[in-house]
Amino acid sequence: MHAFTQLVRMKVFYFLAFFAVILIASNFFNLPQHQGPESTGTHVLSSIKSWSLGAMTLFSVVLSIVATALLLPKDVEDRTLYTILAKPVPRLDYLAGKLLGVLLLVFVSLLLMDMLMTGILYLRTNLLLSQQLGIAAARGWPAAETLALKTEILAQGPTLSLQGAVFAIFLQAAIIASIALLISTFSSSTLFTTIICFLIFFCGHFQADARAAYLSQEVGMADGWFSRLVTLLVALVLPDFQIFNVIDAVIEGQVMPLFIAGKLALIGLFYVVFYIFASWVAFAKKEF
Amino acid sequence: MNQAKRYFIIGLSVLAMGALRLPFEQRVTKQLYDEGLLAPKLKVRTGEKIGQTFYAVSLGGLRTLVATFMNLRAYGFFEEQKWAEVAETYDFIVDLAPHTRYYWDTGSWHQAYNAASYYLYGTTDLSSHRRKQAWRDFIVGGRDFLEDGIRNNPRDPALYERLGYLLADPNKIAAFGDYSAAFEDSYDAYMGAVRLDMVRNKYAKRAALYSLARVPGREKESLELAMEIRAEQKILPPTMLGLLYTLRYYKDPEQSVMGLVDSVFPSRQGAYEVLGNQWLRTRDRFPVHGVAKAITLLELEMGIPTENSLLIQELPPPMNPDDFFFKQR
Repeated sequence: MHAFTQLVRMKVFYFLAFFAVILIASNFFNLPQHQGPESTGTHVLSSIKSWSLGAMTLFSVVLSIVATALLLPKDVEDRTLYTILAKPVPRLDYLAGKLLGVLLLVFVSLLLMDMLMTGILYLRTNLLLSQQLGIAAARGWPAAETLALKTEILAQGPTLSLQGAVFAIFLQAAIIASIALLISTFSSSTLFTTIICFLIFFCGHFQADARAAYLSQEVGMADGWFSRLVTLLVALVLPDFQIFNVIDAVIEGQVMPLFIAGKLALIGLFYVVFYIFASWVAFAKKEF
Repeated sequence: MNQAKRYFIIGLSVLAMGALRLPFEQRVTKQLYDEGLLAPKLKVRTGEKIGQTFYAVSLGGLRTLVATFMNLRAYGFFEEQKWAEVAETYDFIVDLAPHTRYYWDTGSWHQAYNAASYYLYGTTDLSSHRRKQAWRDFIVGGRDFLEDGIRNNPRDPALYERLGYLLADPNKIAAFGDYSAAFEDSYDAYMGAVRLDMVRNKYAKRAALYSLARVPGREKESLELAMEIRAEQKILPPTMLGLLYTLRYYKDPEQSVMGLVDSVFPSRQGAYEVLGNQWLRTRDRFPVHGVAKAITLLELEMGIPTENSLLIQELPPPMNPDDFFFKQR
């Protein structure tokens, strides 16, 4: 809780105002694009979703990396770390507490952003629905066509899959935060931790390709053992962030089954637990 | 245990953990592809494409947002009539957002309609042959784009319908070379929409018939489909009635023409209007088996003098792109 309040005092929630502005603005972005007579106007709903989830991804990743990278060096700088370690507090508890503080912060931020997004999306969906159903009624559309129109519009509104996408963003943020925790246990600079974490996040989007290349032996004979070794190393060392890209498909209206969310949660949990323990191994006997 | 040993253990356990999760993640990734929750592998063709792929993969969670901006960029290219750039931008956009019908639809439309018309009407300094080539290439490109869209979204009836429409469009069909094959493909595309969507079923089914009826040698199937539609749909548009007449006549040319007219059309005046229109619509290439015979009999009955007969009117030729590219207008 201390880590959470410590971060809240850093006024990180100010970005929510910025998010609200983005969200409200996305309602009014009238980007020039061709809308045929068959259009049901759902592009505004997609626009709200892509702006909101895009902003959530950015905010949560930046927040997770920077907040985690800041925590340990700040405790050292403030000398609070010495006070804590002088008490009978297990170092694992200390690290887990720090990470959970960051995760709580990210969770609360995402929850607030999600509530804002869902609220606005709900209002816009209903507005669009009443408009389109009014037009359909005036044109005397048969019930089956009206129902198909309604289904098409509702698929772009607030759905359970959309909540699944927000959950995927949280998992992604949790993994990168736990990596930042591990790196900050041996790094002496916040800047170093931040840069390395962003690099890992970026390269982690290619881990799946390296893994697929290694498993399917796509690497040609000419490339030989060295290429195979490189793809294997990338696949083993880097976390797979591409797996969380389900967010994009959900924005496009794809349905995310519950068992997929479960599997993603399992993967996320696996990473977080592993990195906490790895951080503890590095931090357990570290001298300050 | 000293600190170096600890870091060594961490390194080893990272590798062990990687080996442990590798098969599981691979299985989940495959499942995500199967569920349509991960974008299909990007098509890497050129050096530039590799660059695009690099960005597209790393834009996790932001791909649809970037696609929105790329769409804006494509709009700019469209306004400047930079057609190659429009096509390329849409290639990238659909890599980013492969499940958004709008991008497939618009990308194809820009190529097959806007770019093709630009070269057809000669608003360029290119030579006639090169204009014709560009016209053809963009129409074929629009078709390929829609077919890619269908491969990525096999459950989207609207894309099948768009493809069916493009393949049977009298202003585009010359670009596909073989008319029969194009009408046949158009029929298949419309039937794809029929199978997927009960709401679009009526229109798509009629459109499928209009395409199939124009394929020489498939008159029997066309008649079966026409009869099926007649049994299902209460209101039949004039084109549908005209085809019903001509396909039934083709099946049995010895039958009484006026008897056939009476069994298909609500009135003889209506029959004359519909069949006359079908006779003159040479651009659409609809079959006209028995149409001239019916018009002759109907004109005789209605007291229309021979000099005013529809049959002696000069027929407009079907659309020939060469008229635009090689003749002085």
